[in-house]
Amino acid sequence: MNFEPTQDQSSVLSALDSLLQPFEASPVEPVPYAYAGALAETLAESGFGDIAGVDGFGPLDAALVVERVARVPQVVEIAATALIAGALGLPADPRPLALASGSALNAARFLPMARRLVVLHDSHADLVTPADGAVEPVESLLAYPYGHLRTLEGARIERFEDAELVRRRWRIGIAAEAAGCMAAALAVVVDHVKSRFAFGRPLGSLQAIQHRLAMAAETAESARWLALRAAWADSDADAAIAAGFAQSRIAGFTYDLHQFSGAMGLTLEFPLHFWTYRLRALAGELGGAGAQARAAAAAVWGDTAGSRAA
Amino acid sequence: MEFGWSPQEQAHRQRIRDLLEEALPEDWEAHSAHGPGSGYQTDFSLQFCPMLAERDLLVPNWPRAFGGQDAPVWQQFILGEEMWAAGEPRGAQYMNVNWIGPTLMKFGTPEQIDRYLPPIREGRAIWCQGFSEPSAGSDLAALRTQAVPVEGGYRVTGAKIWTSYAGRADHCFLLARVAPRAGGSAGKASILILLVDMASPGIQVKQIPALIGEGDIHELFLDDVFVPEANRLGAEGQAWDIITAALQNERTGIARYEFSRRMLDRAVERLKARGRWDDPTVRERAAQALMLCEAARLLVYRVVDARARDLPADAFPSVARWAVVQADNGVNDFLTECMPEGLTGSDPVQVAHHQRAIAAGIASGAAEIQLNLIARRWLELPGEPKR
Repeated sequence: MNFEPTQDQSSVLSALDSLLQPFEASPVEPVPYAYAGALAETLAESGFGDIAGVDGFGPLDAALVVERVARVPQVVEIAATALIAGALGLPADPRPLALASGSALNAARFLPMARRLVVLHDSHADLVTPADGAVEPVESLLAYPYGHLRTLEGARIERFEDAELVRRRWRIGIAAEAAGCMAAALAVVVDHVKSRFAFGRPLGSLQAIQHRLAMAAETAESARWLALRAAWADSDADAAIAAGFAQSRIAGFTYDLHQFSGAMGLTLEFPLHFWTYRLRALAGELGGAGAQARAAAAAVWGDTAGSRAA
Repeated sequence: MEFGWSPQEQAHRQRIRDLLEEALPEDWEAHSAHGPGSGYQTDFSLQFCPMLAERDLLVPNWPRAFGGQDAPVWQQFILGEEMWAAGEPRGAQYMNVNWIGPTLMKFGTPEQIDRYLPPIREGRAIWCQGFSEPSAGSDLAALRTQAVPVEGGYRVTGAKIWTSYAGRADHCFLLARVAPRAGGSAGKASILILLVDMASPGIQVKQIPALIGEGDIHELFLDDVFVPEANRLGAEGQAWDIITAALQNERTGIARYEFSRRMLDRAVERLKARGRWDDPTVRERAAQALMLCEAARLLVYRVVDARARDLPADAFPSVARWAVVQADNGVNDFLTECMPEGLTGSDPVQVAHHQRAIAAGIASGAAEIQLNLIARRWLELPGEPKR
């Protein structure tokens, strides 16, 4: 047991910090669902998205990258590329990689700019390369660009048998991205309540606010360490636990952070939405917290009276 | 970054499990349900701890100079996880090992070290902790027990409450305040620590009947009790720093989430046997409690990791403590709802878990105090303005 990043991990994170530095400021005229093309290009050129496939690195390193990139007030796809593409033996490009569950026609994050879509079914996954013009953008309040396929006609479909691999890595991606969003959202609200005065005192000196932010801090830390352990173990149980924990806390966490930001938190000028509206999008992925909980129970204890965990 | 156990750590854990298997009596579950402070468990600890000591498993983390093995921090922590999950057969002595002994090593005089450490490391000392008072619980600095300096020592008068293990303790790690008339103040600077012989004239102990197990909490009355100056730990005015360091160890010292996790595993086996595991709602509830346990485990591991790497102390133990309280209560809520029969005579271990869980957010200072500490020291939020 050692929570200290290895020298390689420290180097990666330090290089990533430098690379992300120009993207740390909130866009002046933010559009909630705009894709950060420049950041995507920078990440692609740097190779951070392919880290899991590099000798000596793996899913934990990919999760560290996903978590760090999620802290930036920009919307960019990295989790699916870093955690799923390589695991399926696919090249990282073309990016981004979109993910859908159940049906290829369901709305998927990043689909408007993606040329590939992984569709997760119960027992297998399909890699769908849509025909030109088949993707239609979907407007959403959630802070990702969404799209859906109008039709599968003309699409190229490649089948992968290992649905569990896709599901597991998707869960790790949800957990790592949620952890990064939580950390950044909490930091911006902590800054706000330190500087915003009401009744002659900083909001952050009120115990009612302090206690809930302290609980939010526990949520963010728990989400982070559960995500990293899940990525290290690359196990179905830990992945379901990590994603389920994060998803189960998102409603309360985002409510509190918006509440303490007041009306300012409802504006696009205040960057909180970059993270809370990603979190709210992640809350419902793969069936949400309840589905993850049932999956965790099945993985740890088996899902029938006679069963045992794998 | 590494979230697994080394082969040595796994072997160490297995060795402890084997030892527990060998040393605990068949009816241990029923007895251990009464709690670490019960008469049975105290008596048992006086056989069990010397046996641990003989096998170098009582204080392995202590420095060799004090009779330990200089074992890595993680080894001691694994020992604590296994012991707490097994119902804590060390009884009250876990406290000696975790923080009373280490505090004495760090701040005690050579005479105090020679006198108090041998019985602790040999497994034959029972201590209690005289901190809380009727008007000073989580607000420890408000304590009123008075220590009046007299020739050769102090005369101590006051009352302590919620004192675990006092009924059988040989010594008390007592906090008192130098009386204002004797030069003391109302602040932290006048607090001092006295190592009190519980056989001293003027001490009365009364057990408080409670929901949380036999022998767990007491009132302790001190009426003009003489304590020699040689029994003062540290200097007058140094006590608060000593207590703060000691409590850092205490607050994350108990692996509560491990007992909770094992209760979940045990409950699932029983739910399966009773045909209730096929209900997806039950499975979902169990896993939600599991998530809380695993979150608490990792945050506590993060604290232990920092200690193992000798990093400077920070407020993270408070973050971990909050998670541990959530885990204990989350599992307890699940068991109460989905295994209600466990609380009506069918499972003494579930009753014991329930008793530990309802105290988890209160023992060692209210969990809400941890939220204050997280807010101030972790998030660096501003304090309340002075009126």
